[in-house]
Amino acid sequence: MSEEPPHRPSIHDLKPIAVPKIGHWIGGVVLAVLAVVFLQVLVTNKNMQWAVVAEYMFNRAILSGLGMTLLLTFLAMVLGLAIGVVLAIMRLSASRVFQSVSWGWIWFFRGVPPLVQMIFWYNLALLLPEISIGIPFGGPKLLSWNTNQLITPFSAAIMGLAFTESAYAAEMIRAGIQAVNVGQTEAAATLGMTRAQMLRRIVLPQALRIVIPPIGNDTISMLKFTSLVSVLALPDLLYSAQMVYARTYQTVPLLLVATIWYLVLTTILTVVEHAVEHRLKSEHRAGATKAGGIFPFRLFARQQEAV
Amino acid sequence: MSQTNGEPLLKVERLRKSFGAHEVLRGIDVAVMRGDVTCIVGPSGSGKSTFLRCLNYLEKPTGGAIFLHGEPVGVRWKGDKLYEMSFNELSRQRQRMGMVFQGFHLFPHKTALENVIEAPILVKRVPRATAIEEAMVLLERVGMKERAHYYPAQLSGGQQQRAAIARSLAMKPDVMLFDEPTSALDPELVGEVLAVMRKLADDGMTMVVVTHEMGFARDVADHLIFMDGGVIVEQGRPVDVLTRPQHDRTRAFLARVLADA
Repeated sequence: MSEEPPHRPSIHDLKPIAVPKIGHWIGGVVLAVLAVVFLQVLVTNKNMQWAVVAEYMFNRAILSGLGMTLLLTFLAMVLGLAIGVVLAIMRLSASRVFQSVSWGWIWFFRGVPPLVQMIFWYNLALLLPEISIGIPFGGPKLLSWNTNQLITPFSAAIMGLAFTESAYAAEMIRAGIQAVNVGQTEAAATLGMTRAQMLRRIVLPQALRIVIPPIGNDTISMLKFTSLVSVLALPDLLYSAQMVYARTYQTVPLLLVATIWYLVLTTILTVVEHAVEHRLKSEHRAGATKAGGIFPFRLFARQQEAV
Repeated sequence: MSQTNGEPLLKVERLRKSFGAHEVLRGIDVAVMRGDVTCIVGPSGSGKSTFLRCLNYLEKPTGGAIFLHGEPVGVRWKGDKLYEMSFNELSRQRQRMGMVFQGFHLFPHKTALENVIEAPILVKRVPRATAIEEAMVLLERVGMKERAHYYPAQLSGGQQQRAAIARSLAMKPDVMLFDEPTSALDPELVGEVLAVMRKLADDGMTMVVVTHEMGFARDVADHLIFMDGGVIVEQGRPVDVLTRPQHDRTRAFLARVLADA
């Protein structure tokens, strides 16, 4: 117990002094030192060849590789989500056959690495030299293609990426659909809606809201997964950089170019994802007032009627 | 205002429903005349909600038959064979039976107005402008015109339930089914929903109401049904059932609920 000084100010006039956070100070100093060392390496290490990085940052081959990466990401996500919705609905169907087929697809494409799949799809001609549409079990063929003409590095890459995504998307969307209150479908049914109308207008719009954050996450993963296509010699961002350094031996700076571009893209996607999530959270509450904020529109919801 | 002559609008014969080995409904017979308000009361677990949900086939009955305008619900004759209806065939019959739920179940991604116009536009192909016009009349009728552009999350329970009633009315049903419409509401919000229902009854809507609101049942119902253990124990004019119950089970139930009130 400290002795009470004679003229102590009133407790109401003072703000108590905060508890010192010694751990924060020590840890902060250590981390700050490490960060400075890291930055120093980045700046002073001659092997980084920042001049070369700058030179190739907007090189035409690199930019077209960037375009290919974006195209692959976009197509694989759109196709994967479309298949995923169908798989999710099949999985929730009352039919055992639909359930099992969906389960089998998800089991296979979630289990086989996309890299293995891509190589496999690319070599499909070794297994099936010809792909045809007709009556199965030896019946007549209506249409047929040479597999080697059908399968390009691009289509093999899309299949590998989209099928993998479809398996993950199916599970997310199934969870989203199941998270929609049963009362919603009952209310829709009592209004005389058909199954398809219920699904399209009531259940899926609500399920997609739930599923948007994980889909955003998946899109970011997909962007990075596309770098696998370099094994098929498809000129995406990574392979374009590799082609340059195979010629010039400037390995590190060109990998840095690719790294920086990947970081730029994932940063943009992260910002978009956060904005969409924020929008979805505030949408129900914002309702009556016109939508504002980052996006001047309301997701899914129709524009308000002037009555 | 009940019409004693003519065919009942809704007729239920020997309705049974089991969940697994548990028999919830054990043979129910009810006739509802056009313009009648029928209230169903009884202890929880007596099967009254299940009964209501069987009427529009949200639950598939295990046995018995339901007729709407003399036409069997959920099944159809073809020659002398009886066939189950597909979901989409059933949806045509469901249009004629509006339903209001204990939990409201408004579509949360749509405003009150959008909730009301959704089914008429989607199911009945009503032009959008007409649907909006009719919806605004309905929303005014339930006192929700000012809140037409609010989302369900911005509305109180009572407001949500009134919007849900408007949503059901928008399909112009022949009969309205109410499944404990005020049980999920804060006490001070019960009155506004009951007032809307009273007005609806005064306008001649045929209604079947499962409720715990004895005052409403006494004042509004033309016919009161007391259910217990999956059977109708007693039915008749509300004043008779409430003031001169013939069965011990009815007396015991009334003693319990009226003591609370």
